[in-house]
Amino acid sequence: MVEVGVEYTRVSEIRGPLLIVEGVSRASFDELVEIETIDGIKRLGKVLEVGQGKAVIQVFEGTTGLSVKGTRARFLGKTMEVPVSQELLGRIFDGLGRPIDGLPEPIAEEFRDVNGAPINPERREYPRDFIQTGVSVIDGMLTLVRGQKLPIFSGSGMPHNILAAQIARQATVVGSGEEFAVVFAAIGVQYSEAQYFKRSLEESGALRRSTLFLNLADDPAIERIITPRVALTVAEYLAFDLNMHVLVILTDMTNYAEALREISAAREEVPGRKGYPGYLYTDLATIYERAGRIKNVKGSITQMPILSMPADDITHPIPDLTGYITEGQIVLSRDLFRRDIYPPVGVLMSLSRLMKDGVGEGKTRADHMEVSNQLYDAYARAQEVRALSEIVGKAGLTGVDLKYLDFGDAFEQHFLKQAVDENRTLEETLRRAWDVLSTLPEGELTKIKEVHIKKYYKARG
Amino acid sequence: MAHVNDNVLESIVNKVVSQVESDLIAQIESSYAQSLERLMASKASLESEYSKIVESASKQAENLKRQMVESSRLAVRNKQLLLIEEAVNNVLKDAISRIDGVRADERYETMMRRLIESALDAIGTDAVIECNDKDRDMVDRIALELQHKYNFSIEIGDSIDCLGGIRARSKDGSIILDNTLDSRIERLKPILKKDIARLFMV
Amino acid sequence: MVARGRIIWISGPAVKADGMSEAKMYETVYVGESRLIGEVIRLTGDTAFIQVYESTSGLRPGEPVIGTGNPLSVLLGPGMIGRIYDGIQRPLDDIAKSSGAFISRGIAVDPVDKKKRYRFTPTVKVGDELSAGSKLGEVDETPLIKHHIMLPPDSPGGRVVAVEKEGDYDLEHPIATLEKDGRRYEAKMYHYWPVRRPRPLKEKLDPEIPLITGQRVIDTLFPVAKGGTAAIPGGFGTGKTVTMHQIAKWADAQVVIYIGCGERGNEMTEVLVEFPHLTDPRSGRPLMERTVLVANTSNMPVAAREASIYTGVTMGEYYRDMGYDVVLVADSTSRWAEALREMSGRLEEMPAEEGYPSYLASRLAEFYERAGRGIALGTPERIGSVTLIGAVSPSGADFTEPVTTHTIRFIKTFWGLDTRLAYSRHYPAINWMISYSGYVDSIAKWWMKSVSEEWFKLREEGYYILQREDTLKEIVRLLGPEALPDEEKLVLEVARMIKIGILQQAAFDKIDTYCSPTKQFKLLKLMVGFYREAQKALKAGISLADIRSMQIITRMIKAKFEISEEEISKIDALYDEMIGEFKALTTREVKQVVG
Repeated sequence: MVEVGVEYTRVSEIRGPLLIVEGVSRASFDELVEIETIDGIKRLGKVLEVGQGKAVIQVFEGTTGLSVKGTRARFLGKTMEVPVSQELLGRIFDGLGRPIDGLPEPIAEEFRDVNGAPINPERREYPRDFIQTGVSVIDGMLTLVRGQKLPIFSGSGMPHNILAAQIARQATVVGSGEEFAVVFAAIGVQYSEAQYFKRSLEESGALRRSTLFLNLADDPAIERIITPRVALTVAEYLAFDLNMHVLVILTDMTNYAEALREISAAREEVPGRKGYPGYLYTDLATIYERAGRIKNVKGSITQMPILSMPADDITHPIPDLTGYITEGQIVLSRDLFRRDIYPPVGVLMSLSRLMKDGVGEGKTRADHMEVSNQLYDAYARAQEVRALSEIVGKAGLTGVDLKYLDFGDAFEQHFLKQAVDENRTLEETLRRAWDVLSTLPEGELTKIKEVHIKKYYKARG
Repeated sequence: MAHVNDNVLESIVNKVVSQVESDLIAQIESSYAQSLERLMASKASLESEYSKIVESASKQAENLKRQMVESSRLAVRNKQLLLIEEAVNNVLKDAISRIDGVRADERYETMMRRLIESALDAIGTDAVIECNDKDRDMVDRIALELQHKYNFSIEIGDSIDCLGGIRARSKDGSIILDNTLDSRIERLKPILKKDIARLFMV
Repeated sequence: MVARGRIIWISGPAVKADGMSEAKMYETVYVGESRLIGEVIRLTGDTAFIQVYESTSGLRPGEPVIGTGNPLSVLLGPGMIGRIYDGIQRPLDDIAKSSGAFISRGIAVDPVDKKKRYRFTPTVKVGDELSAGSKLGEVDETPLIKHHIMLPPDSPGGRVVAVEKEGDYDLEHPIATLEKDGRRYEAKMYHYWPVRRPRPLKEKLDPEIPLITGQRVIDTLFPVAKGGTAAIPGGFGTGKTVTMHQIAKWADAQVVIYIGCGERGNEMTEVLVEFPHLTDPRSGRPLMERTVLVANTSNMPVAAREASIYTGVTMGEYYRDMGYDVVLVADSTSRWAEALREMSGRLEEMPAEEGYPSYLASRLAEFYERAGRGIALGTPERIGSVTLIGAVSPSGADFTEPVTTHTIRFIKTFWGLDTRLAYSRHYPAINWMISYSGYVDSIAKWWMKSVSEEWFKLREEGYYILQREDTLKEIVRLLGPEALPDEEKLVLEVARMIKIGILQQAAFDKIDTYCSPTKQFKLLKLMVGFYREAQKALKAGISLADIRSMQIITRMIKAKFEISEEEISKIDALYDEMIGEFKALTTREVKQVVG
């Protein structure tokens, strides 16, 4: 028998996004609540705290327009669920998973709790399949593997969405030719950004294998708590039930964290850093950890959350805690962006933790890891020399240091920079890497073994 | 002197002329070679430019083709979804219109009894039960039968407009339980939809 | 009488129940119809505050709460090695058997297979008088671990009145009967011990043996002793976890307890996938045969994260009591502290700094106090140790935040990870200017006896070069390198060689991942030897440019990964060659002067 849910009408308080109902005898923690305004308009919410006759409800669509009198809360006897089925591909939904593409409610194979359940670490399959994105700096130095969670740390105005869209269009697993299904969750982003993404998928013919969830800048803020969870629940179904390789893009997680802060403030919780709740880390983990692979299951979830760093500050709690959970980060650099270098990836601050397992002999190429290490090392030195040359001038530099200055330019122009629609093979990426490394004297390549230097180093002349 | 000079002059002139001539020839030759070289070079770059244009055009065409194929496939799928939805709604409408007939079935009363009981359990205090005109007598009877189980009063309220079932509320109005068939069908719809849709999709 | 109450309030992992007047502090309770596991953390009247170790989603007021009468405990007995547990010692593979790839709730499973039979060999005989903690016999738990069956530390002891002869028994089979004050009781091959109570030692000993980790910057510069404590704080991406993995892989301990506390799921998977295929450089056996994993990843319930640290350390102490050297790595203690903070917040306790409870420092102190080397209770005499190594994840890589600052008070070795080093891929990114070890003097004897008399002197010289470089770098930053005299430029050059050739170590390189003490010493001698020779050469009038252009430098730097442990004498050859080249330089110089 389906639960119809008991309705309670004694609202005692409305505070920020919270609705407090008294006289509640039948409610459970985390339960889904349907709220009906005096005008018959329905909203959704969930129970944050319950006991002693009182339930604290977080209203997803916000409390604007709700009144103490005449508001009814119906407890639905289940947690928030979304319908899942293959037919979700090619569809567009709002931030709570309701269709906004003029098509009917999807026919569900099943309804799934949006909170998911933690993957048992013992049942995880360790991710190690190289994904070619066609972007040199990523394939060469920040290799993405299937099942990884690799965020883009960006700042306002920088081309993070362009880069994410390029990756979504170009990503393939070399040799298999398999394409990714894309689950895109817009979390409080502007219409134009969401539209750019949609068009990009459309133009590459990828829309049919994509599902879009859009919570736009003018949509209710608290809904943003649910949007990534709805998206990931669908992604889990596609990956682990239908065996698809799914790329999930969540943009912008900063808006998510702000919604969380709003709720925490309304609950008058003791704040952690910068007013964000102390459980921000744990909360973010329940989103980011929903990536990966499972033993004996073919599908995978690769996650690419995007977040804008307030004031470009990487130590801000949102990027900071994200970086502690994700398997690396791609950091966009304001300086490179100003110098018109696309993609403006600040490689020194960027990292892919799973790269070591996705590259090397039998996967990409035996020299790949060492080449990457050497590029990092040399570019770091180049940056140091650049800073130094600004103080003491080029005249104050030794011969080797001058070589590093040239290396820095070559690296940025020949390796890093590429066109938005340029899809480079791994071979080309590595060839370019050796081109720029060959501008340095052989003795400087201390991170590469002799065998590889003999094979690939190009003596100048 | 003049004669000699003339000869000398002539030879000098000749020398100069031949010098200039050979220089000129050399120059012409070298510039010819150069322009040839340039021509060759530009030929190569022209060719690569040409092939680039062709390549990008064919890439664009390829993209366009894929885009068109995929978007028309999507359009077909979407049309299909709309048709299924329409069919599902028709089936539901049909089912609802037959509910009146169900009332005669003895199982209807069993169901009503269960709906009323579960509502009273949930409310747990002085309660008001509402139903439509057709069910009023039955609800009256059931309420009377059930009264002994509860230590609070059970009233029958005004008639409401619904297909069947009941709506119960606490007397003070703070707790409501909507157990009308309308509301139950509404909530069952997503699950029914799947079953009905299955009949349409082979 | 156990407590039987009812839930009256729920907020996330915090639950209040009334009717709990029978409950005791830190008692384990079952919460709700689905019997979620929880622990009583505060009692007010007959109301108990309970932290629940599983997701409380769907739980409702009115559901029952039932006490167990026992504090949160772990089962200690054969069968733990090689397994992966959640924060309250439930084997994750058994959980997977009943709930599949995703973890569901209310699953009750034994920590070890109690029906599995082990070959028990008694080491006591009827009539022996035993005190608490004494050994009764042993079983082979893995080819690496001989598991001592011991009386629990709180046992009354007594006279052995019966003991099983050698044979195969399961865990529930009584293997001995003892008598004390006229009362008889049976002993089995396992016992329970409350996780929040340290297992006592007869006597604590000084830590004087280094824990060799095979990591050069650690063993050579900032060593930790067996039974010691170390903390490794660092911002994200600085390589905490990789360093922790390296220690778990290569440390010369007999038992390794790896606690993944609020960290990534894939990191635990990595250990599970990798360790069975890696062999211990000393025994040649798979590393998994000495490892126990405790995994409470960041997305698993937060309260169990708090418990996981205690679960791990109690298991560690148990193996210590058998006379083993145990290394416990906890990644990350910050997530544990955050779990404390979250529960404290839900209980509306008065917060101290950054919302952490005021008892954060004392909890950290209690944890690190459980490290140590000592003599176990009972007979025969067994000396074991627990070395505690905690990762710290300071928010914003700021070492002045509460968890880092409090941790520093209770540890003796500090490996400070540096974001800037990590950005330039100097790994391990242990900053040699802020790190320290309080064990150098006490373990020097070991190095000098086991490796070389020269060790202490060479280490000091090498460390001194790095310290001087740090000062000189300031000048270079302002005036450029040309402003320095040649002698100081040489310091910069040799510091570069030490940094790349010794301090940097590639965890994922087959050869470089582990470096034996002897190889560490030889590399150190190579670099410091170079410095000594180069100084002499400068004095003899050789130009710095000539020294810098010596081809051998690149080979010296690459010796760490080009020369394997098996061909270690090649480093000696390289050393001799280096000395020879300096001789040649000087002779040429002399010739030029004469000519």
